[in-house]
Amino acid sequence: MSAPNLYDRRLVFFTGKGGVGKTTVSSAFAYSCAQRGERTLLIEINTKDKVSLMFGSEEVGTEITEVEENLYAVNCTPASAMEEYALMMLRVRIVYKAVFENRIIQSFLAAIPGLNELVMLGKAYFHATEKEGDRYVWDKVVVDMPATGHGLFFLQIPQVITSILGSGHMYDEAVSIQRVLSDETFTALNIVTLPEEMPVNETKMLVEAATTKLRIPLGFVVANGIYPPVFDRRELELLGDPADEHERAVFEAAEFRVARSELQQRYLAELHEATPLPVAHFPFVFAEKLDFIVIRTMAESLRDQISSHQDRE
Amino acid sequence: MSDAQKALGQLVANRRIIVCVGSGGVGKTTVSAVIALQEAIRGRKVLVLTIDPAKRLANSLGVEEIGNDIHRIPIERFTEVGIEPRGELWAMMLDMKESFDAVVRRHASADEANEILGNRIYKYFSTSLAGTQDYAAAERLHELHESGDFDLVVLDTPPTTHALDFLDAPRRLKDAVDNKALQWLYKPSALAGRKGLGIFSVGTSYVMKTLAKFTGAELLDEFATFLRHFSVLFEGLKSRGEAVRKLLLSDDAAFVVVTAADPLTIEEATYMYRKLGDERANVGAFVINRVYEFGFDRDELLRPASSFASRLAEGHPRLADQLTPDAIRDLCERLLANARDFAVLESVDGESIGRLRRAVADDMVIARIPYFHTDVHSLEGLDRARRELFGSDGHT
Repeated sequence: MSAPNLYDRRLVFFTGKGGVGKTTVSSAFAYSCAQRGERTLLIEINTKDKVSLMFGSEEVGTEITEVEENLYAVNCTPASAMEEYALMMLRVRIVYKAVFENRIIQSFLAAIPGLNELVMLGKAYFHATEKEGDRYVWDKVVVDMPATGHGLFFLQIPQVITSILGSGHMYDEAVSIQRVLSDETFTALNIVTLPEEMPVNETKMLVEAATTKLRIPLGFVVANGIYPPVFDRRELELLGDPADEHERAVFEAAEFRVARSELQQRYLAELHEATPLPVAHFPFVFAEKLDFIVIRTMAESLRDQISSHQDRE
Repeated sequence: MSDAQKALGQLVANRRIIVCVGSGGVGKTTVSAVIALQEAIRGRKVLVLTIDPAKRLANSLGVEEIGNDIHRIPIERFTEVGIEPRGELWAMMLDMKESFDAVVRRHASADEANEILGNRIYKYFSTSLAGTQDYAAAERLHELHESGDFDLVVLDTPPTTHALDFLDAPRRLKDAVDNKALQWLYKPSALAGRKGLGIFSVGTSYVMKTLAKFTGAELLDEFATFLRHFSVLFEGLKSRGEAVRKLLLSDDAAFVVVTAADPLTIEEATYMYRKLGDERANVGAFVINRVYEFGFDRDELLRPASSFASRLAEGHPRLADQLTPDAIRDLCERLLANARDFAVLESVDGESIGRLRRAVADDMVIARIPYFHTDVHSLEGLDRARRELFGSDGHT
């Protein structure tokens, strides 16, 4: 499979198992786009906002906020997306108020299966295709998706809706979204993972599902949290038993590093073998917290890896 | 044995249900298996019930596969390492689709059940409709508890971000039943006494017309059909849901919040703890998994590599035999740099655990499992985690 140039796509998703660093990687990619001069929108999906921690900005809510030069973020909730969508369709706020701000109606809407997911996905689709005159409003829309299980369900929603319904606004909407999702000049789904057993297994499953069921063009697998090698196991064997507590702790940390690196290399090899996708590598970050410096470093590394995969083609 | 180890041991020994909750990727499945193993070794008949679609539990229990059936885990192997398990360990993996199908069959007649199971909306959404997964698991838990076949059931909850869904599920389904707007759809006769009219007559109302414009009339109609069939389950779900919730909140049950040690995950765990508290659920303990615990001496780490090098060369003759002084010095620099890297993580973990300590009740049990060199996926690995968590070699 040829490596896609992620910078050529307008709608870029990141998904993966919980705890693998999706938000960090999405933020780094979005920042790299902004640095290239692209007007970029980073969308968090119905979660406790973490993007503001990365950029040291004010909390990101349901209104689009600027977090860096060229980089905007928004936290999309079902309620906010539903309101925007309904307003767009009904065009009249007073109708919206009369109907949608009714508590019973709200709980009713919340119970319709798939509607929440569809309107949130719809928001990503809307911004990715939003135009002012002939020009796109956003050069790039980056979506930090929910974890694997839910993320998959999310991306499947348009297909499910179109297979249940045959007409109506939701149907039309689902058809347009699906068309954009499966457009390989427009969209890419990336999978963030760790070089560990379960995340690697889930990555394989996701690649399989994306190819067969979702029909969404895939981008990169991003392997996060890789320990750069520091020791050779043989040199540690020369150390023998520690003489005191200080040595014990230092030796143990070295052993840990070597053992974990070996495991990681095994899982990375498995990842390369099992997926046809290009694999980008991110080093483990030994920092007190993930902050802007980390994001900037990752963004540079990601940009280099994306372009080096291009050169190889 | 530390206080935390002792307290956790007492907690699990005195319950008949343990529910492990926590964010995705923190090791809930492993911790569930560890707790179950502990009690099986102590002499109880234990079942660990998982919903994780991944094969992790099977892996960590050292068996090929665990199906929807109850599967006995051969823990007799531990006699080889000097532990004689006195009880039994059983495991089961809930298939979500099958489990909720079973709920449908239990609460509906054969004909009605077939209608529901064949409905398009049901087919696509039965595992993702608000709370169905959690509900199916909760009902299964209740059933197993009632059967009295096991002394303890340990439940590994679904990997959702909102672990509370589990406790909420019986009520959410019950709310759905009571939802007036839904009743309009599936009980059209409830409207102005007009019997047997479909959704389109309802559509004459302003609200329904607007909604139909929004979702498409077809969806409303399809959904109404689904609800009409599904509503036969509602009475059963409602009373069973009450019973399940009562069981989960009873003294027989305790919740264990599993978390990683990093600040964001600890924050999520604290949030979960508060929410569970609001519901008056009994949170018995926190288990912090994969904690960096090397026990570094910070002052020593800051001393120059040269002094560490001369110390090592003196104390480890093989090193001096095999490596040049420059190579030893180079190795020492890397050893110290690596140790300083991990010291950062160790202190971050320590701080976030401290924050957790201050955020919860004074007597809350906070137990931890260190970050091992290898992943836990064998009975031996599980036993190692067990000894870290409970501090004993088994029999107390």
